[in-house]
Amino acid sequence: MSRSDTLTTEQRVQVGSRAPWWKASAPILITGAVLLLVWAGVSVFVDTLPGPAATGDELWRMAVDGQLWSIFGRITLFMTVCFAIAAIGGVTLGLLLGSRRWLDRGLSPYLAALQGMPTSMWIPVAAVVLGTSPWSLAAVVSIGAMPAIMLGTRSAVANVPPLLIRAGRTFGAEGGTLLRHVVLPAALPGIMTGLELGWSIAFRCLVAGEIFSGALSGTGIGNVISRSRETGDLTEMMATIMIVLAFTLLVDRLVFAKVQHRLRVSRGLVDSGLPH
Amino acid sequence: MSASVTLTDVAQAFPGRERARLALDGITLTIEAGQFVCVVGPSGCGKSTLLDLVAGHTRPARGSVAVADAAVKGPGLDRVMVFQDHALFPWMSVADNVGFGLKNAGISAAEREATVATWLAKVGLTDAGALHPHQLSGGMRQRAALARAFAMRPQVLLMDEPFSALDAPSRDRLHVELQELWADTETTIIFVTHNVREAVALGDRVIVLSSGPGRIIGDVPVSLARPRVVESERVVTLAHKVRGLLDEADQLGITTPREGGDSYVAI
Repeated sequence: MSRSDTLTTEQRVQVGSRAPWWKASAPILITGAVLLLVWAGVSVFVDTLPGPAATGDELWRMAVDGQLWSIFGRITLFMTVCFAIAAIGGVTLGLLLGSRRWLDRGLSPYLAALQGMPTSMWIPVAAVVLGTSPWSLAAVVSIGAMPAIMLGTRSAVANVPPLLIRAGRTFGAEGGTLLRHVVLPAALPGIMTGLELGWSIAFRCLVAGEIFSGALSGTGIGNVISRSRETGDLTEMMATIMIVLAFTLLVDRLVFAKVQHRLRVSRGLVDSGLPH
Repeated sequence: MSASVTLTDVAQAFPGRERARLALDGITLTIEAGQFVCVVGPSGCGKSTLLDLVAGHTRPARGSVAVADAAVKGPGLDRVMVFQDHALFPWMSVADNVGFGLKNAGISAAEREATVATWLAKVGLTDAGALHPHQLSGGMRQRAALARAFAMRPQVLLMDEPFSALDAPSRDRLHVELQELWADTETTIIFVTHNVREAVALGDRVIVLSSGPGRIIGDVPVSLARPRVVESERVVTLAHKVRGLLDEADQLGITTPREGGDSYVAI
């Protein structure tokens, strides 16, 4: 049999950033420095806005007395648990919607409406019905993120090329096997988009809950908000915003961006200059 | 390992268009076990529908389809399809793609690995097992698709214009390789194409279909020595005769699109 198109080693190399980490993250750090400069400039003219230096001092104080780590840790715990529930529930229900047409017809309009409506509107309802405990906010955050994830999963499933489904059937995949080994991996890039959307909605819900009533989530953000409201001093608020920003930046870089990149590389959606 | 295929007075509408015009009508065809049969016809003559019927993806509106004298009730691993667009799973390595059907058939990991290695070697892709489909050229992808199909040791192999999207050199080479693989495995092959020369070069027998609805208007035995290539003079001469059958059908008033007309496709 012909072997004329054997592969060179370059073709075997997976696409990845081979640059050292400091080179790869240089653009991120430079942009961050520019943003800090802009902030410093604005704070010179606006008296009420604490500058980066004051915020930095406050962050240092929070780091020394442990408040920073406590907020960071509690946000991580709260969001991880809520998002895991939302992701598992949303993807499962989305797959169900994608495979049962009558269910899709009945539910999708309501899901679309729920997604359009700010989920934080449920917080007063949940606070009264379920009480002001972390659990009631956790329920709102988890359930609030679900419609976006469900709709994302459902569209991703609907967009799976029928040819791949036919190929799966031809090679003996039916029912659960077809769903797990063909539909799910084929829909994964679309599902990821839904998950990212769900993540941002979940975070909005969390902060809305904190604004509504002091310490609903137990993350400490609410306490900071109410203190700033009373004193009118925004330094602690700005420091907390920096903590939350660092958290979302880390999650995006270390989780979503990495997963998206891997999905794209393995599916040939990154132009790597290979022969096609 | 091969099985006979029998279609008896089969009629079928185009998928998704119930009660619309028929794709196939009055198809009666017996394919012996181990035979390599090519089906040619203008586009829209129901060639792919014919394969879907044998594969069990659809059921005939009338008539019956049987493989090895058993009526076709649904998809089965004894009948495997090769698609025009390779249809490899983009998220799996080539080796995993080839092993996909074997895994579903419940074959153990060790045996599966051995089978995959054998078939990758037979199609010349031993070094490409760990690569993903997008890292292969068009010809290599279609080879991987062939390996995936042959690895199942199907009784009947259904091929839906598998080489029509390839460049001419890759296609010529795959024509020879397919004939070798078929000779090795002795499986029954139903190969659908709109390319008359390809049909004559590959088939033991060429079934000619007319369009709207698809009916059999010719059954041409090909007894030239193998392996054949499309440029060979005898293939070209015989292809000319088959073309004649298609043209004749056109003159008989069967509605194949006329040259220069809106939907005319050169064959």
